[in-house]
Amino acid sequence: MIAKKVLLVGNFGVGKTSLIRRFVLNEFSEDYISTIGVRVSKKVVEYENETIKLMIWDVAGTSGNEKIPKAYFLGAHAAMFVFDVSREETYLTIDENLQMVKELSGLQNITIVGNKKDLLTQKELNKVIEQVSVNIDLITSAKENDNVEAAFMQLTAQTLN
Amino acid sequence: MIPAKIEAIFIQITTDFSGVIQNIDAGKFAKNEFSLQESIYEVCPFLEGTVEALETNKPFLLEGMVIVSNNKEYNVDIELFKTENSIEIIIHNRTNVYKIVDQLNQNRNDIFFIKREIAEKNKELDRLRKIADKANEEKSRFLAMMSHEIRNPLNSILGYAELISAEKLTDSVADYIKNLSSAGTNLKVIVDDILDLSRIEAGKLQLASEKISIRNIIQNCENDFKHQQKNEKATLKFYVSNNIPQFLIGDSVRIHQILSNLIGNAIKFTEKGIIKTAVKVVSEDKNEVKILFSVSDTGRGMSDQQITKIFEEYQQNKLSDNRIKGGAGLGLAIVNRLVHAMKGKISVESKLNIGTIFFVEIPFKIVANTITQPLTSHSVKPLINLKEKKILVADDDTLNLTIVSHFLAKEKAEITMVKDGLEALSKIETSSFDVILLDINMPNMTGEELVKKLNIFQEFNAKTPILALTANTTEEDIKRYKDIGFSGVISKPFTSEIFLKKIQEVL
Ligand SMILES: Nc1nc2c(ncn2[C@@H]2O[C@H](COP(=O)(O)OP(=O)(O)OP(=O)(O)O)[C@@H](O)[C@H]2O)c(=O)[nH]1
Ligand SMILES: [Mg+2]
Repeated sequence: MIAKKVLLVGNFGVGKTSLIRRFVLNEFSEDYISTIGVRVSKKVVEYENETIKLMIWDVAGTSGNEKIPKAYFLGAHAAMFVFDVSREETYLTIDENLQMVKELSGLQNITIVGNKKDLLTQKELNKVIEQVSVNIDLITSAKENDNVEAAFMQLTAQTLN
Repeated sequence: MIPAKIEAIFIQITTDFSGVIQNIDAGKFAKNEFSLQESIYEVCPFLEGTVEALETNKPFLLEGMVIVSNNKEYNVDIELFKTENSIEIIIHNRTNVYKIVDQLNQNRNDIFFIKREIAEKNKELDRLRKIADKANEEKSRFLAMMSHEIRNPLNSILGYAELISAEKLTDSVADYIKNLSSAGTNLKVIVDDILDLSRIEAGKLQLASEKISIRNIIQNCENDFKHQQKNEKATLKFYVSNNIPQFLIGDSVRIHQILSNLIGNAIKFTEKGIIKTAVKVVSEDKNEVKILFSVSDTGRGMSDQQITKIFEEYQQNKLSDNRIKGGAGLGLAIVNRLVHAMKGKISVESKLNIGTIFFVEIPFKIVANTITQPLTSHSVKPLINLKEKKILVADDDTLNLTIVSHFLAKEKAEITMVKDGLEALSKIETSSFDVILLDINMPNMTGEELVKKLNIFQEFNAKTPILALTANTTEEDIKRYKDIGFSGVISKPFTSEIFLKKIQEVL
């Protein structure tokens, strides 16, 4: 079995912890308990006939252009950048934020996920998609278990590139 | 020897490159979680994958990680150092520090989300307020238009009632006509009230700033109500304190309206006793004097709950009040707005079955003493005889035309009647008149268009006064009419007295 280290980064409160909880434990909570530092969870997944142990790093959210400690990225195989579709400030400067993550991690591709889809109507969502200057990989809802599995599968795929 | 207290907050471990513990070098923090020859990844999952990637001989720091010991979570900072054949790991317990960071972070985030919620609520409120404002504006506009539309036919009703009552009538018909007139007059009061209120709400009410005499206003109120008040069990009393300045700057019509409303109300609700209107000075300085008007009655009074609502629109306390007392319940709403427009204050005290007292305090500018020109007297001059006066009346509304011609015929005027603007034009061009009365809205050519054609008046009517007959009576309207050449405006609906007075003013 191979182990792969992946990170979830993005603004605070966008739902990184919630996505991981949904993926690993299939649980969701409305409570917001901000993550301090890093929490690591493990989950074994099957991907294209491979059994992979994912070491999922849930990194404390940032605000503005606050930097993520570079040390966290050591040995990382892939990263997911999460934003909140209901909060403009979490995606308006997504270009710069992604650039920063790429520089810190040395990773070329980053999975881009817009979370909290349940809070918007399809019309509002389309507007957000239009506004976001980069290609969004998946739009998820941790709350309604929508596309969460798919997002982590995409992330897993990136660890193998 | 390392002191015990320090030993308790760290542990130093050596592992091989795949994380298997080779030695526990120092420290006691979470010591029983670690055993020789076991993988350190069990307790420190974050080291899996990280350790393998370390560079040799380069210290490495991982901050803010979590480990569990004895079912308790600890926040730790980790120092790593990779040598040729092993990895040195120091784990520092920093739980206390991170607890504070956690608190601060949580507060930051809470504030952030609360701020966001407030901003959203504000946006929503703003949106709702705009909708409400717009609806209110629409309402005012609608009311103004409606009242305006109602005024014209009402004018005809009142006019004909007046004409009929001048005829020889049987007693019962005379009675019917009296009732008809009084119903019409009531309706006119309501329509005027609605118009007033919508004007005030639309910010279109302009207060006059003229020299006024409070004493005269009170005297006028007294005269008005002495006539109307027919209930012998209720007495009207008026007091004006001696130190009220003779002249002040204000709007006498609106003050009269405020007092009439309050006194009228008091009369309505007082079956027996005294209705007292009093005026006194509250305070005075060089420029300004504050005057307190009070109107008290010994009527049925109001409960506290009723008091809180009385200044709202369409408010009458008992459902049946509307029918018994007449009016749409707009009076106090108008009074309230007028008082505020004058930068005054209004309040009320009341006890059920004992009585009510309204207080209105209004600040007035003082007239500089040097100017003592007398007030223009409002007493009605004797009517001039219109005998042999040539009067042209142009109106497309037959009803109006009939009423006007009747009023004029009674005064023996020589009347020429036409039914539209073009007919009026040809008359003006060919014969001279003493007065010309023009309806504004006429087919073919409106009164406004007609007045602007200066040359048609030159030959025969260069000096003839022209009066507009119209229901458009906002201040802007009247000013515009005067600007384009009308000598005055007779606003519909009118009584014969007002009508004749206006004509007499321009003759
Ligand atoms: N409606 C909705 N709420 C969500 C969703 N995902 C997360 N939340 C809520 O968003 C808040 C923040 O979620 P977290 O998962 O703690 O966010 P985070 O990105 O881990 O935040 P930090 O640890 O501070 O960086 C919580 O109150 C969650 O319940 C979602 O898909 N829909
Ligand atoms: Mg989190």
